[in-house]
Amino acid sequence: MTIRTGTRTAQRNELLWALLFIVPSMIGFIVFFAMPSVRGLLMSFTNWDLLRPAKFTGLANYIKLLSDKEFRHALRVTAYYVVLNIPLQTVIALGMAVMLDRFTKSTFIRGILILPWLLPNIIVALLWLWMLDPTLGFINQIIMSLGFERQPFLGSVTQAMPTIAGINIWRHAGYTAILLFAGLQNIPKDVYEAAAIDGADERQMFMGITLPLLRPVLIFVLVTSLIGSFQIFDTIVITTKGGPVDATRVVYWYIYEYAFVRFKMGYAATISVALFLILITITVIQMRYFNADTSDLD
Amino acid sequence: MRFRFNALAIALVMVSSMLLAACGGAAAPAAEPTAAAEPAAEATAVPAEEPAAEAPAATDAVTIRYGLWDGNQQPAYEACAAEFTKTNPNIIVKVEQAGWGDYWTSVQTGMVGGTAPDVFTNHLAKYPEFASKEQLVDIQPFVERDGVDLAQYLPGLGDLWGRDGKRYGLPKDWDTVAVVFNKDMLDKAGVTVEELNNADWNASNGGSFGQIIKKLTIDEAGNNALDAGFDKSKVVQYGFVGGGSGGAYGQTQWSHWAVSNGFKFNDGLYATKYFYDDPKLAETIQWYANLNLVEGVAPTLADVRSLGATALFTSGKAAMTTDGSWMIGSYVNDAKFVTGFARLPKGPDGRKSMFNGLADSIWVGSKHQEESWQWMKFAASPACANIVGSYGVVFPAIQSGVDAALKAYGDRKVDVSAFTAQATEANGTFLFPVTDFASEIGPIMDATMDSIMLGEKPAADALKAANDEVNALFQ
Amino acid sequence: MTTRTQTKPGFSTQQIFAWIFLTLVIVVTLFPVWWVVRTGFSSKQEIYVDTFNLLPVGPTLNNFKRVLGMFSSEEAVAQGGTASGMDFWMNLKNSLMVSTTTILGQTFFSAMAAYSFARLKFRFREQIFFLYLTAMMIPGVVTLVPNYILMARELEWMNTYQGIIAPSFLMTPFSVFFLRQFFLSINHELEEAAKLDGASIPLIFMQVILPLSVPALSTLAILQFLGNWNDYLWPFLIGKAENMRTLTVGLAVFQSQTPQGSPDWGGLMAGTTLSLIPTILIFLVFGRRAVNAIQFTGFR
Repeated sequence: MTIRTGTRTAQRNELLWALLFIVPSMIGFIVFFAMPSVRGLLMSFTNWDLLRPAKFTGLANYIKLLSDKEFRHALRVTAYYVVLNIPLQTVIALGMAVMLDRFTKSTFIRGILILPWLLPNIIVALLWLWMLDPTLGFINQIIMSLGFERQPFLGSVTQAMPTIAGINIWRHAGYTAILLFAGLQNIPKDVYEAAAIDGADERQMFMGITLPLLRPVLIFVLVTSLIGSFQIFDTIVITTKGGPVDATRVVYWYIYEYAFVRFKMGYAATISVALFLILITITVIQMRYFNADTSDLD
Repeated sequence: MRFRFNALAIALVMVSSMLLAACGGAAAPAAEPTAAAEPAAEATAVPAEEPAAEAPAATDAVTIRYGLWDGNQQPAYEACAAEFTKTNPNIIVKVEQAGWGDYWTSVQTGMVGGTAPDVFTNHLAKYPEFASKEQLVDIQPFVERDGVDLAQYLPGLGDLWGRDGKRYGLPKDWDTVAVVFNKDMLDKAGVTVEELNNADWNASNGGSFGQIIKKLTIDEAGNNALDAGFDKSKVVQYGFVGGGSGGAYGQTQWSHWAVSNGFKFNDGLYATKYFYDDPKLAETIQWYANLNLVEGVAPTLADVRSLGATALFTSGKAAMTTDGSWMIGSYVNDAKFVTGFARLPKGPDGRKSMFNGLADSIWVGSKHQEESWQWMKFAASPACANIVGSYGVVFPAIQSGVDAALKAYGDRKVDVSAFTAQATEANGTFLFPVTDFASEIGPIMDATMDSIMLGEKPAADALKAANDEVNALFQ
Repeated sequence: MTTRTQTKPGFSTQQIFAWIFLTLVIVVTLFPVWWVVRTGFSSKQEIYVDTFNLLPVGPTLNNFKRVLGMFSSEEAVAQGGTASGMDFWMNLKNSLMVSTTTILGQTFFSAMAAYSFARLKFRFREQIFFLYLTAMMIPGVVTLVPNYILMARELEWMNTYQGIIAPSFLMTPFSVFFLRQFFLSINHELEEAAKLDGASIPLIFMQVILPLSVPALSTLAILQFLGNWNDYLWPFLIGKAENMRTLTVGLAVFQSQTPQGSPDWGGLMAGTTLSLIPTILIFLVFGRRAVNAIQFTGFR
């Protein structure tokens, strides 16, 4: 009996502390994320133009969205970007993280790898805009000195999106690597030692130990970078402004355009709701698929 | 001991955070009713932005916040503001500057949040939107009360800022477009400035201006585009670089060509129908695109899209471009060679430049509309025009200010007569096409012009389709 | 002995491959950063003249002097149209103030929440956690205006530190998610041992979980600190007043003083170089801590 009441008070105790622990972040969440989001949701049912009082328009925006060809185009373009960006970035970052972990823990080298991420987004975009310029850029100079044709990169309908993906991989790979590196630090070293004694080579250790034990962090990286890349915007504002011929008019740009250029905040909110639903669906699938709530260490 | 200390610390942090949050939470609903009752609740924001030391002793002084985006003009308007405060000691003008993109973001969010500047520099592509959304003060009653003479401004400029008997701004300055050339390249090719000033142009073969472009285009072997052996795949110096596809207005890109070919954007101020399907526009745009696509005497759109035509020009990759008068300083300062400005060539319909101008507007949320009007009136008066003109960064809307600007440029040995002659010539200008839906016409025309410039679609077809789309907005 | 001889040869070719990869990555990473520095030292008139020169063209310190406001505004205009420099030290102070406060609060409060989500059992735990995650998926364009209205009208926190700091002081979904994933991978044994000793939950959190997570906490704190350092739109909208500008805002204002057309590359890159220095220092100093800390936890 005493044991049972003991666990019950322990449980009640745990609930109490859990609540107390969540309260501060919950306040931040409610005030700065939930409330504005609810306001955003409400906006999506109105014709708010930012400046005058809004009128309730019911589902009009949503009906418009269903037949909005430009929105579908924007989604396609965004999805294309995500497909270009995520796999390559994750693989490169994972490679970098493993090398850091296995061969050098030098803070200096990690400092170098994080450098691109230390530059403000706007600067990164401007910098690459210049370096990739067809006539005045350094990259094309190298390409030409190797005997190839110079490339239009950001100015070309077909190359613009892969180029933007490349720029963002450059900026984020090192950062992602540092996140993964931190995850690798959590893997007990004796596991590797045991495997080495059993004669496992680097590849076997990577597949058998690193990947499975890194899973919680890897999921984190995949989920956050996927969400982030669906919201690609800054680089596009500076480099292509959605062009050429709408080739880089991604969803986020489309939302921005409606909100701040066309003054149609109501419709911008509707597109945002759609994007939000898409992201939730993808995240749920990801979390389910990777079984995100457990760790293989248990 | 250590344990207890940590537990205590945790409790402290948690309590204080909850207190903090509780205060915030309580403040929000309490503030809501006042905010609703009084849209411009920026009372606390204004003093916070104003360092106390700057304010003179006058306790009843009113501070007017004045927004502009061109950093080059900031010193000029600060000088105006100082002059203004001399005669109006109870009004202090605080100039706030932000670059084009950030400027509009902060003006718009400021209107929503109640923190927009009292008076702000407005643009013709933007103001109809603000006016129709009731964000601008109609200054016509002020103008009539104080008897402001609208005839003091260069012809046409004043009209741009009125609609249906209401008025949203007083003109401050204007700009026109001219040809920018690299003098060294002209000399080398044996083209004189006089020849350039007297050139003519047409959409079928470019006229004598087209010949000059060819003469200035040089390939690796040293042939120019008029020579039989010219290889357009190996150009080292382009005769001309256009500033990109130009979107809906082509202000510095194609509007001067098109209008001098007889094209009209629409039926005038606040028209409800565009004429983008005019064959005269199509042939002009096709000529403009073919400079690259067919002739190879201009760089590709891709080349221009990244760093822009100005960069290509200043890096010595192209001999000529067309640009607006607000860029004079950049060309003169940034290039290592001698840059000059020539008249636009004479088209079938004469020489035509878009005539654009800026004006100040008063935000409806301003708490000091009378004082704002006083400042706005001064900023658009001869006194301020002369000051601004003397800085030589922009052409004021009043003739005496233009003279001051010409003198300032003359002192720096820069000949800007190509711009001023265009502005004062009879029928030398056409006005910026001010209509509703500017923000929606923009994306449609951007994509259309891009596709023509890239050679994906012929101009005639693309423009016809775009015109239908644009005019459908007005239905 | 046999294992050693078996693994060694394979190991070294792999090592060579690894170092080639790493070197390549470092070169690709560093080159554009060098371009920033190079351009900062180049003179304005020559920026486009010799774009293929790896070294500064027309080497000069003028850009740095302009950024630091060491020229009068007439001199600066004569040099290419930038009216005034940025108040670098004031901006630096504001950036330090904002980023430090934000990160201290955010890391601590997020860790508390993350611990609950990872270790404590209560109803709707997963649902609340997922709710937090959804905050990442809300397009910022939509929450920007409501948040701005909240700051400008309801809290009246325009041009205050708390206005800039508040939205990410108590949590970001990113931090909670990151730490939760780490806490999940911490071994249960130590916690159980502490529990048996009668330690309370906050005690376990402070004495067991936090020390064990120093690498994760410091990695997060550094990354969020630097991310915060580069925040632009929010600090710009809330803290535009001269005495509230952070480095990024100061840099943008400085940059925007040049007219439309091509950017003031020299000034911009000089400013960027200057604002990069503190971040690199912070990373090197604290980044080392993050790694070294691992050895002290005695867990691995």
